[in-house]
Amino acid sequence: MTSAETIRAIQENIARVIKGKPHVIEMCLVALLARGHLLLEDVPGVGKTTLAHSLARSLDCSFKRIQFTSDLLPSDIVGVSIFNRQKQAFEFIPGPIFANIVLADEINRTTPKTQSSLLEAMSEAQISFDNKTYPLNPPFMVIATQNPAEYHGTFPLPESQLDRFLMRLRIGYPAPEEEKKVLERASSLHPAEELLPLLTASEVVQLQDQVDKVFTEESLTEYLLAIVRSTRQSELLALGVSTRGALALSRAAKALALVRGRTYCLPDDIKELAPIVLPHRIMVARQTGLHQRSFDQAERIIRDLVDTIPVPV
Amino acid sequence: MGYSFLEQPMLLSQALHLTSILLASASFIGLTLGAGLPEWLAALTGMTLIAVLLQNMGMKSVDRFTTRMPVSAIGWNLIVFGGFVGFWIDLLWVSGDLLPAGLHFLMILMVIKLFNLRLRRDYLHLYAISLVAMLASGSLMTDLWFFPIFSIYLLAGAWTLLLFQLTKTSEVGGDVWMPEPIRHERHEGSHRVSPRLFWIANGLAFGAFLITVVIFFTIPRVNAGIYQKGFGENLRMSGFSDKVNLGAIGSIKRDPSVVMRVELPRSPLNDARPFYIRGVSFDRYDGKVWTNQLSYRRSLIEESPGTFTFRGKRAFSRAQLGEAIQQKILLEPLDTPVLFAAPFIESVMGMFPSLFFDATGAVYLPFPSSSRIEYTVVSRSNVLVSEDLGSESELYPESVVRQYLQLPFQPDRIKTLAAEVTQRQHNPYEKATAIQAYLTRNYRYSLDAPLAEQQQPLEEFLFARKTGYCEHYATAMVIMLRTVGVPARLVTGFMATEWNEYGNYYVVRQQDAHAWVEVYLPHSGWIRMDPTPTEDNPAAGGPVWKVLGPIVDNIKLQWNRLFVQYSAADQLAVVRELKAESMSVRNKALDSMTVLFSAFMTLLSEIVSHDVSRIRIGLLGELLGFAGISLAILFWLRRRRPWTAWNLWKNDRNDELVIVQCYRTMRNYLIKKGLSSSTAIAPLELVEITRSRWRDAHFSVASITELYCRTRFGHIPLTYEDLKRAEDELHHLLELQKSSL
Repeated sequence: MTSAETIRAIQENIARVIKGKPHVIEMCLVALLARGHLLLEDVPGVGKTTLAHSLARSLDCSFKRIQFTSDLLPSDIVGVSIFNRQKQAFEFIPGPIFANIVLADEINRTTPKTQSSLLEAMSEAQISFDNKTYPLNPPFMVIATQNPAEYHGTFPLPESQLDRFLMRLRIGYPAPEEEKKVLERASSLHPAEELLPLLTASEVVQLQDQVDKVFTEESLTEYLLAIVRSTRQSELLALGVSTRGALALSRAAKALALVRGRTYCLPDDIKELAPIVLPHRIMVARQTGLHQRSFDQAERIIRDLVDTIPVPV
Repeated sequence: MGYSFLEQPMLLSQALHLTSILLASASFIGLTLGAGLPEWLAALTGMTLIAVLLQNMGMKSVDRFTTRMPVSAIGWNLIVFGGFVGFWIDLLWVSGDLLPAGLHFLMILMVIKLFNLRLRRDYLHLYAISLVAMLASGSLMTDLWFFPIFSIYLLAGAWTLLLFQLTKTSEVGGDVWMPEPIRHERHEGSHRVSPRLFWIANGLAFGAFLITVVIFFTIPRVNAGIYQKGFGENLRMSGFSDKVNLGAIGSIKRDPSVVMRVELPRSPLNDARPFYIRGVSFDRYDGKVWTNQLSYRRSLIEESPGTFTFRGKRAFSRAQLGEAIQQKILLEPLDTPVLFAAPFIESVMGMFPSLFFDATGAVYLPFPSSSRIEYTVVSRSNVLVSEDLGSESELYPESVVRQYLQLPFQPDRIKTLAAEVTQRQHNPYEKATAIQAYLTRNYRYSLDAPLAEQQQPLEEFLFARKTGYCEHYATAMVIMLRTVGVPARLVTGFMATEWNEYGNYYVVRQQDAHAWVEVYLPHSGWIRMDPTPTEDNPAAGGPVWKVLGPIVDNIKLQWNRLFVQYSAADQLAVVRELKAESMSVRNKALDSMTVLFSAFMTLLSEIVSHDVSRIRIGLLGELLGFAGISLAILFWLRRRRPWTAWNLWKNDRNDELVIVQCYRTMRNYLIKKGLSSSTAIAPLELVEITRSRWRDAHFSVASITELYCRTRFGHIPLTYEDLKRAEDELHHLLELQKSSL
C-alpha cells in the first residue's frame, strides 16, 4: 500500500466509528503525522474520547487515558520512583504518559503544575525525572480535551502552553442522519473496540518521516509568513502567532498534503489549516471589547486575515 | 510511418511530433543539398533532427538529453538573441549577403525550436520555418533532387496538418476533478493512429500531390490568372477595327470603364494636356466609312530581348522631332491588336513575341491580348517648323498625295464650304487652322446624334444638324482639308484628361475614346489638330469619390504591377536590389564603426597625452558623477539581485511559465465573471467554487488547476500533452457562455 492508500484506509476505519466527521478525522491524522498534539475543545458527549480511542485502535499503538482532575499530581502522569527492596534501589515506575497515544481528558481541570508536567513531555518527547531523562517511544501524541462551557474550577491553559498543541479542533454535533446511525448501532460493545489496527508504530513513524519530505515551494513559505505577519500587525490582536506557530502551520500543511495524497503543498493546505492551527496561539486585543479567549472570535479573525492575503500564483 | 501502426498504434501526439520532425527534415535536406548551409551548421541541424527523431521513437537516453536540457526559458531567449546577433555578424562580415545569412539564422532557429517543441504554437513556428526553408531550397536547387524532397515535404505536410487538427479536437471532456492520476489515460485508445487514419492521411497527401502536379502543368505561364477575363468579355472597342463607321464611337463615349493607364516620368505641363494616345489612322473615306488602305504590316525589329524599335526609319519622319516622351502603359484586355501610345512610336519595350507596324505608324500586337499587358513606349511627336508657317509651297511627297487626298464621290457642297472658309489663307497650316476654328466655333458638340444610318452623314452634320461629336468634326475637317488640297487623315485613339497625381499616370477610360485629325505639312510632317470643341466631362461619383478614386485606382495599379505582373525577372531584380541594399547597409555599418572607433581612439590618445595638471574641475566632476552612477548601479544590483531571475541552468521552468500563464488567465477570467472577487483565493477553492456555481466550466477549471498545481507547487514537469490539454481547456473555457450560473 502506498502512503496515500494507507492513510485513506485509516480514515475510513475511524469513520466507521465517528460518523459524519471526515474533516475532524482528517485533521486528527494531520496532527499525528505532523508529530503534533491535538486539543479537542467541545462540549461533552460529542465523541472526543471516542475519536482519540478509535485513532489509537486503528494504529497498533499503546493508548492511555488520563482523566485530569484538580487533585491530579505530576507523578500521576509521569510516573513515580518506588524503592525496590530486593534491589535496594529506587526504581522508576513509568506513568501513563509512556504510551504512544495519550488522551488527556479535561486538561483544564488540573492545576498548572500538573499541566506543565504534561506539556514538557509534549514538547520534548521525553520525561526528566530524578536527574534522569526517559525518552518517550515514538509515535507520541497527546490528545487533550477541554470543555469550553465550564469555567468554574478550571485552570485555563496559558497561551504559551496552548502553543504546544498543533491544532485546536472542535467536533461539533453530528448531522441528524449521522446521529441516527450512531443510535441504530446494534452492538453493546464500545464502537472503538470493534476496530482493527491497520498500522504498526514503526509504520506511523515512517509516515511521519515522509511528511518531512513533502515539498513546499518557496512562494508558499512566503505566503505562510505573510499570514503569520498579518496576525502580528493586526489591530484586533494583542498577540500574534509565534515562530513556533509558523513552524506548526508549515508542518501541518505538509502533513495535510500527504494525507491528501500529494508530495507537495498547495496554498489551499495553508489556507485551510490556518483557522485550525493558529487561533489558539493568538490573543484578541482587549480594546476590541470581545471576549479574549473566545474560540469563535479568534477563528473568525484568522479567517478574515487569511482572506486578505493574496495567494501566490 | 507505416511501422508505427502495424505493431503498436502510435499516439496521435507522438505521430504529430514525428511528422513535424519529418517536415523539418525535408526542408533541411533540401537546403543542405542546395548547398545553402556550411558544414558545421548542417551537422548541428542534422544531429539535432536525428536526436529528436530518436527521442520520438522512444530512446530513453536521448530523451533524457533533449527534454532535460537544463536551459531555462530566459536561457533559450538569450540563445535566440545570440543567434540574431550572429545573423548580423554573418551578414556584415562572414557571408556578407542577405540570403545565406538569413538561411543560417533560419537553421539556428529551427534547432532551437526542435528542442522546445512543447506547445502547439511551437509546432506552428516550426512549420513556418520549414516552409521558408523549403522555399529557399526551391530557389537554390534546380536539379531533380528537389522532386523527392518536395514529395516528402508534401506527404509530411499533409500528415502534419491532419494530425494537428485531430490532436486539437480529440480531447474528450469528463466532469470529475481527479486530484492526481493523469486523466487522459482513459481516452488513450482514441488517441492512436488507426489504420484508417493512416490510409486517409496518405490518400490526402497523394491527392494534394496530384492536384499540385495538375495545377503546375495546366496553369499557363503568363501573367494571367485562370479566373481573369477571357476573350469573350474583353472590353468592346468597336472603333478599332480596320474601318471606322461614322458614329461608332458615340455608343462608347458613355462607358467609364478603364482601358489603360499611362504612367509618365513626371507630371505633364498644363499645356501638354490633354494627352493624346494614338491608335490607328485612316486614309480612305467612302462617304460613310473610314478605312485604312495602308494596312500592310511588317515586323518591328527586336533590338534586344523585349525592345522593339523602328531603327530610325519612321514612316514619314521629318528632320525636327519633339521631345522624347517615355510612357509606361498598362493596357486592359481589348479586342483589338492595336498598341496604343502617344504619337509617334520610336521604340516599344515589353514581353511580346513580336510586334508589327504599318505605314501609318500604328503598331500592332500579333493578336489581341487576353490579359492585361504592360509595356513601355518612347515616342516623339513632330514639331511644327517655321518653314510651314510662312512658305506657300505645297510640295508634298508623291506617296502622301496618293494616299491622303482621296475624296468620296460628290463633295461639291463641302468643297464650296471649305473654299469659303479658307479663301484668305495661303499655306496649308493656315488653312487647317481656319477650318479647325470654323468647325469648333460653328458646330455644337453632342453625343445624341444618330447619324450612322443616314445616307450622307457628313453632309447632314455640316449643313443640316450642325451637331455631332468627335468623329464628325474630324471627318469634316479631313474632307474639307482634302478638298482644298491639304493632305490629312483621321486618327482614332484616346484623349486622356484624368491625371492621377498619386501615381503619376493618366487613367484612360472608354469614354475617352476620341477621333482627331493629322494634317501633313510639307516641312513638319504629320501634325495633330483637333477640331472638336472641348467638353467638360463631369467626373463620376460624389465628392468623396473624387478624392478617394485616384488613390484607390493607384492602389489597383500598384497591385497589378507588384503581384499580378510579378515575374521571374522582377524576382531577380528584387533579389539584386536586396543584395545591393544589404551591401550598402554593411558598408555603412562598417563605416560608422570605423568612425566611432577612431573617435574613441582619439579620445583615448587625448586622455593619455593630457597633462595631469591640466585636468579641470569639470572633468573631475564628470568622473565623480560617473563613479556615483556606477555605485548606484552596483548598489541596485546588490539589492535587487536581478541575476537570481536569470538562473540559466535552473531546471527547465518553461512549462511552468506557460501553465502559470494559463492559470492566471483562467483565474482573471473567472474573477471577471464574478465567481471570485479577490486574489486571496487558493487554486482548489477556485475549483470548488466553479463546481458549485458554474458546472459547465468545472472540468476545464479543474484540469488546468490540477496541472498548474502540479507544476507550480510540486515542480513536477509537464509533458507536451499536458500543456496542450491545458491550452485547449483554457480555450474551451474562454469560449464557454456563462449561462448556467
